[in-house]
Amino acid sequence: MGAGGDPIVSNGFWSMGGYARYVWPCFAFACLVLAWNLWSARRYRAAARLRAARMLVMEAGVDS
Amino acid sequence: MWTWFYKLASPPHVYTAAAALAPWFLGLAAIGIGYGLVAGLVFAPPDYQQGDAFRIIYVHAPSAWMSLFAYTTMAVAGAIALIWRIKMGHAVAAASAPIGASFTLLALVTGSLWGRPMWGTYWAWDPRLTSELILLFLYAGVMSLRSAFEDPARGDRAAALLGVVGLVNVPIIHYSVLWWNSLHQGATVAKLGRPSMPGSMLWPLLSMLLGFMLFYGAVLCTRLQGEVLNRERQAKWVREAIQS
Repeated sequence: MGAGGDPIVSNGFWSMGGYARYVWPCFAFACLVLAWNLWSARRYRAAARLRAARMLVMEAGVDS
Repeated sequence: MWTWFYKLASPPHVYTAAAALAPWFLGLAAIGIGYGLVAGLVFAPPDYQQGDAFRIIYVHAPSAWMSLFAYTTMAVAGAIALIWRIKMGHAVAAASAPIGASFTLLALVTGSLWGRPMWGTYWAWDPRLTSELILLFLYAGVMSLRSAFEDPARGDRAAALLGVVGLVNVPIIHYSVLWWNSLHQGATVAKLGRPSMPGSMLWPLLSMLLGFMLFYGAVLCTRLQGEVLNRERQAKWVREAIQS
């Protein structure tokens, strides 16, 4: 049960007391920002690893 | 005397520590944010004045705090790099900037969405809002400056200097609600010993703050690994790390 004894998932919950159009976009945007942070950081690290590996391969090619 | 400090800040040590810490930070962040979301959205009672709109605080306040925390981390790391010539300081500063900028944008957008039903407007040139917007511009300036030089070392130094100078904006943001007349509400949690929120509203907020901090730590560690690899790709230890 949620606040005030209402069922947790109910119209009252989703309507947020009439403020749904302000509350839910905030949480949606927060999820988007957190997901973007995680994705971009992992992509940045993967690209750096790839660059370092390519350099290693190029140097090995020059040496041989 | 400072040998331990330099050893701690050596690139291989920083890379290994960041790789080890990132998954722990991320796991704990998921717990903190998960609890905060459920407790804040479902179990916390509506505010007697703001109703359910107050629940925006659970993403707005942590993102605003993290915008200041990430900037302070960036500026302090830059200052350490400038003063002691520890190059990993520049790497930490470079890794922190985009994360901090995204939290600043999140704080501004959620604040704007909260302002519409409470103040009747999405935006006002209020001291708190304006100084937070300046923070976003500072982040953008620091990131642009770093990539504006052909010599990366010069870019790092210029960005660190701007970061340190811009640090003056952090106390301005924090105390703006006290120093000037402001639409923005005053301190809610940071009142020493007497937060003006009941526990049922406060604990989810503290949990979200902790979760956001740990999330910042996880993303910082991941970005830092990339920064270290980019900066040290000629080093022998990087070759060994890539080959292994």
